[in-house]
Amino acid sequence: MPLLNPRALRWKIAALTAAACCAVAAVIGVLVHQAMAERSEHTGNERLSARLAAAEREYTRTGSAPLEVEVLTPEQLDAPLARALATKDPAALYATWNDRKPPNWYWMWAAMPVDGGRVLVARTDMSSEVRGLQLLDRSIVKAVFAALLVVVPLAALATEPMNRRLRRGSRTARAIADGDLGARIGPGGRARDEITEMSAAVDEMAAALQHKLEGERRFTADVAHELRTPLMGLSTAAGLLPEGDEAAELVRDRARALNGLVEDLLEISRLDAGAEQARTDAVPLAELVTDIVRRTGTPTAVAIRATPIVETDPRRVERIVVNLVTNAHRHGADPVRVAVEATATGARILVRDQGPGYPAALLTEGPQRFRTGTPERGRGHGLGLTIALGQAKVLGARLAFANAPEGGAVATLDLDGGRGSVPAGAR
Amino acid sequence: MQMSVSEQVGGVSAPRVPDPVSVLVVEDDATIRRAVQLSLERYGYRVAVAVNGLDGLEAFRAGSHDLLILDVMLPELDGIGLCRRIREQSLVPVLMMSARGDALDVVSGLEAGADDYVVKPVDTPVLVARIRTLLRRATFRPAQPETTPARGAAPTNPAAASADTGIPPAELVFGDLSVNTLGLEVHRGGQPVALTPTELRLLLEFAAAPGAVLDRRRLLRDVWDYGWEGDTRVVDLCVLRLRKKIGAERIETVRGFGYKLVRD
Repeated sequence: MPLLNPRALRWKIAALTAAACCAVAAVIGVLVHQAMAERSEHTGNERLSARLAAAEREYTRTGSAPLEVEVLTPEQLDAPLARALATKDPAALYATWNDRKPPNWYWMWAAMPVDGGRVLVARTDMSSEVRGLQLLDRSIVKAVFAALLVVVPLAALATEPMNRRLRRGSRTARAIADGDLGARIGPGGRARDEITEMSAAVDEMAAALQHKLEGERRFTADVAHELRTPLMGLSTAAGLLPEGDEAAELVRDRARALNGLVEDLLEISRLDAGAEQARTDAVPLAELVTDIVRRTGTPTAVAIRATPIVETDPRRVERIVVNLVTNAHRHGADPVRVAVEATATGARILVRDQGPGYPAALLTEGPQRFRTGTPERGRGHGLGLTIALGQAKVLGARLAFANAPEGGAVATLDLDGGRGSVPAGAR
Repeated sequence: MQMSVSEQVGGVSAPRVPDPVSVLVVEDDATIRRAVQLSLERYGYRVAVAVNGLDGLEAFRAGSHDLLILDVMLPELDGIGLCRRIREQSLVPVLMMSARGDALDVVSGLEAGADDYVVKPVDTPVLVARIRTLLRRATFRPAQPETTPARGAAPTNPAAASADTGIPPAELVFGDLSVNTLGLEVHRGGQPVALTPTELRLLLEFAAAPGAVLDRRRLLRDVWDYGWEGDTRVVDLCVLRLRKKIGAERIETVRGFGYKLVRD
């Protein structure tokens, strides 16, 4: 997992930590801000009430007020102050109004009704308190950013051991998927958390899988031994029967058929167990395919349109091509043609016949074991194409079945791993 | 290009060989043992049989056999163990016959010193073809004037100076290793090296083109007589055994291609 992937667990946890930090800072900030605001309000009020109380005393005694306190009629009041006075709590001695409008920023006004229909109006400058509050807010924000700068990298770093364990887990799972059945995550470290639990669960799963697969492989190998031993006796003994005898020929034919069936079944179970591994070589495909087709002993035309060299397992290519050609002869109709072509990434082998084509079920569902599709497609066990498909998978090749528009079945095997082509006249 | 198995043995019913070749078959399954014995006898071989590994070892020591066919799964002493015991004292060609055919069986059989393997069930003609290839190797007589120019290796031959005389050099020297291509003797540091026919054939193949990379397929074709159907592990494991005898550094692996003989 690259360091800069924004969706990595590390950054998610860092973001979560940052969010938690910000939330705590916001709550504390708001509380402190409110407390400070209340305090400065209180200070302003205290100043104003002292001033107004003194002014009131002086006004009742002399009919005039000190310089800093105005004596106004209610009509002379600024509208907001008049409104504040109108809505004043009857128990309170005066009403206040904060004037935030420049150039008076930031004044607190207080109006106190006195006898004679006059109003004493005092004001006090609150700007230093408000500025103090703003500075406080700013320093809280600064402090939060400074904390985040420390906390986020720390959180990202702190996830590293956890990440490492998770990465090891995924590496191991991938190794198991790639066929290393013995791979285990292991206990690893002293931590006892969900990751440990998941690792243990994955290990258990891997062990169960390994046990099952090894059991299957052993079973296949044992079955192979148990079946091949009597078959070898049978076919070798059948070979001893006199030549040209019809009954002997029947026995030999059935022994051969049984042989083929057993080999096909064993091959399928090996493919199913995932026990097969390709042994690749640089293979001149045209030469290989020509040789394979010749050895099938069938009347099959081979068209060499290119002479690619492909990194592949020739014995598996042989299994695929032999099965496709045999299938074409058995279920399709002559002429059966095989072609070798070069592609951008490797090579392509085409096997076509002029028969009724593949049945619809095979085209949609792929080859099914022991199902030859329609009765008119003739006898056979339907294993050949399943094996061809399985072997193609082992090779990492693509095998596709289709029907040509002009009639007849077309099987296409696409092999990757091109290594250039055989130089002209080399062979 | 090698002929296919069916062509090699096609139409051969029972050619009698003047001096019967003796084959020892060690197999625990009674039917296979008897059927293989009868089949090979029809092809003119003299066949001795043994029912288990220890019996096989005894039979091998008692008589002189030209070739052994060993089953892998045998009671008492398995085919792999038997092959190893036999290799301690003999270079006789060994053909393993496995009913399992999975990688482990094949590899351990070849590691133990077998020259080739077949997977059961094996048709008699195929078995006979493998036997013939092994025996041809065992009675191998190099025919250099025909083979070397065909491989195009003569000009690169270190001792090619004598080639103008028309007589190929008999003694090829590579460092501390000397190969006599006429007497078929191999010496390393003056000491004779005992090679099985397959190993010797493989070494001669390398010696004919020193310094040239030989790919596995070509070796499989020229030494083992296989076409594309052959298993290249046979080559890898024989090269491994050859290295143990003539020095690991003498044959270099060229990854992805094959092997080459180091000249120096």
